[in-house]
Amino acid sequence: MKMNPDRFTLTEDEYLADTNVLFYLNDAVAQLLEHREEYTQFGVVRYFAEYFTSVKNGNHVLFREFNYIKATPHNRASFLHIFWKCFRQIGKNGDLLAVLEYSSLLQLLCPDFPLEVVQGAARIVLMDDAMDCLMSFSDFLYSLQIQFYFEEFLENVAVIYQDLLSGKTPNTVIVPTSVEQLSNAANEEAETQEGVDSLVFCECIKGLCERFKHNYPSISAIKEILENNQRMTFYGFLMAIAKHEGINQDIGALPNRTDVLIDPEMDQELERLIAQISVSPTSNSSSSLPGHKETPRKASPRKSLHHRKRIEMESDGSTEETDSSEN
Amino acid sequence: MAEKRRSGVTVMSDSKSAKSDNDKEFLCQAGVGDLLRDALLKLVEARPEDPIGFLAEHFSNLASESETGTDGEHLVQEQQLLSRALWHLSLAHHSQRSAFNSNIRVAYELLTQAGPQRRVPGGVRGRLYTEMLQCLCSEGGLSGTTAAPLLRRIRCHNHEAVPFELFRQGVITCAVFADYIRKSQCLYAAVASCPERPAERALCQAVLGTLREALETSDCADTARYLEASAKISPCKVAQAMAEVRCSSEQQEGPTMDAQEFEDAAAELFIARVRVVT
Repeated sequence: MKMNPDRFTLTEDEYLADTNVLFYLNDAVAQLLEHREEYTQFGVVRYFAEYFTSVKNGNHVLFREFNYIKATPHNRASFLHIFWKCFRQIGKNGDLLAVLEYSSLLQLLCPDFPLEVVQGAARIVLMDDAMDCLMSFSDFLYSLQIQFYFEEFLENVAVIYQDLLSGKTPNTVIVPTSVEQLSNAANEEAETQEGVDSLVFCECIKGLCERFKHNYPSISAIKEILENNQRMTFYGFLMAIAKHEGINQDIGALPNRTDVLIDPEMDQELERLIAQISVSPTSNSSSSLPGHKETPRKASPRKSLHHRKRIEMESDGSTEETDSSEN
Repeated sequence: MAEKRRSGVTVMSDSKSAKSDNDKEFLCQAGVGDLLRDALLKLVEARPEDPIGFLAEHFSNLASESETGTDGEHLVQEQQLLSRALWHLSLAHHSQRSAFNSNIRVAYELLTQAGPQRRVPGGVRGRLYTEMLQCLCSEGGLSGTTAAPLLRRIRCHNHEAVPFELFRQGVITCAVFADYIRKSQCLYAAVASCPERPAERALCQAVLGTLREALETSDCADTARYLEASAKISPCKVAQAMAEVRCSSEQQEGPTMDAQEFEDAAAELFIARVRVVT
């Protein structure tokens, strides 16, 4: 949630529109009305304090509906971060999973997480081929990030790509005449080769970004990717975005690819958790489970007992899994 | 505004209008409208960089205020007020002068509430004011030894009451000083050019000399003085001064000056121009 430094020159409305604050206030009130008995026992002010603290810490998206998770860039990044935190162990074990299995994992965190998004991510990993292949956690994670965070951008790029492939001037973009000629020239020799001319593709994407109101990767990163190759396929482009460290850092939800399995703080928590479980196997009060720091169980007034139970089951499950696969 | 969002959510079987009336009544009773209006006004006034963090902090402050009650232990309450005042001051950079001024006003109002008899006539107590300036300096990254000479000049006695204008001056002085020291550290790094070796003494002195000249402007209107100072400290002036030193002393290995000494010298130039509070 970066703000521009000129925020003092904006009008009040422009400032608020820039910040998504009204969206969160709306949701906070809607949630309050939905769960009024539960949330008001600590006082309405405390409720709002908890709500905004959890938004700030990024654990507000847990168990929420997909529309909410998708609604702001901050929500999307927070969800990706939680997904990584919760299921990092899978990557650590080196397990390979299929599309449907990743879909189930995502639905543990967001019950109506659509299969199409998962399939979209898988298409990036597998380059739109052999969709029943198994995928490693980190490959899937970084592709999911691109698919989910830049969804609208990818849709638009797909249209541009198809237009370029079929030799049309992309009607979604105002193309300067020089590029049009370039594009025609490129198409003549394109018949035998895969993909489209990188330069033309790059110009078209730049044109798209100039008037794009959704998230898109930085232009410099896109240029960097497209300058390295003369021709580029759609999935080659998406794969390169998914692997780009700079783009990953700009989103700020996930660590660098090399550090994706490393989280000493979480490991410590986990070890403590396992130790505790082995000492008192019957204990299941929430206070004996200090793990999952990122989950909103700390924000106790906000989450119903139902949710809390679910998390416990989940963390039990994942540690068992760890044990069994290590044996 | 709540109704708009809820229309998407399936509500139970009872009719929508009854439900929304019920909702309105509930929100009204709980005082949610006033609470949110107040928060939005504060938000728009402060325009923080991180609005979500601002609201989290704002509601937490309100909640802990009502939970601890008014006659809690004075010391705890005072520390809370102090940290809230500092938080307000951190919301905008001092170059955003009107926003910064209004944040100073909020901080001042907060601190006047501290203390056993609630309000000291005439302003914030001197002890609290001095303590706040110390915190400001250390938050600005200044070491205790660098900040001490400045604080000696602008602090007040414990029993004094600090009026707003003096309070404002003190806060701005500390904020500008912290920035100034950071800039001078950059300046030293540039002169040293190689981070492992200390900078040449002669070069440092040339730069400090330029700095001193820039600060000594003639007595004319403010705008003219700003222009004059920025002309005197322009990169080409600094480069010129450094080049002159280079020419006069040909040998490479002269005496050096370390970063701390440079910082102290720069700080002294600044502090010498701060009026002592009497």
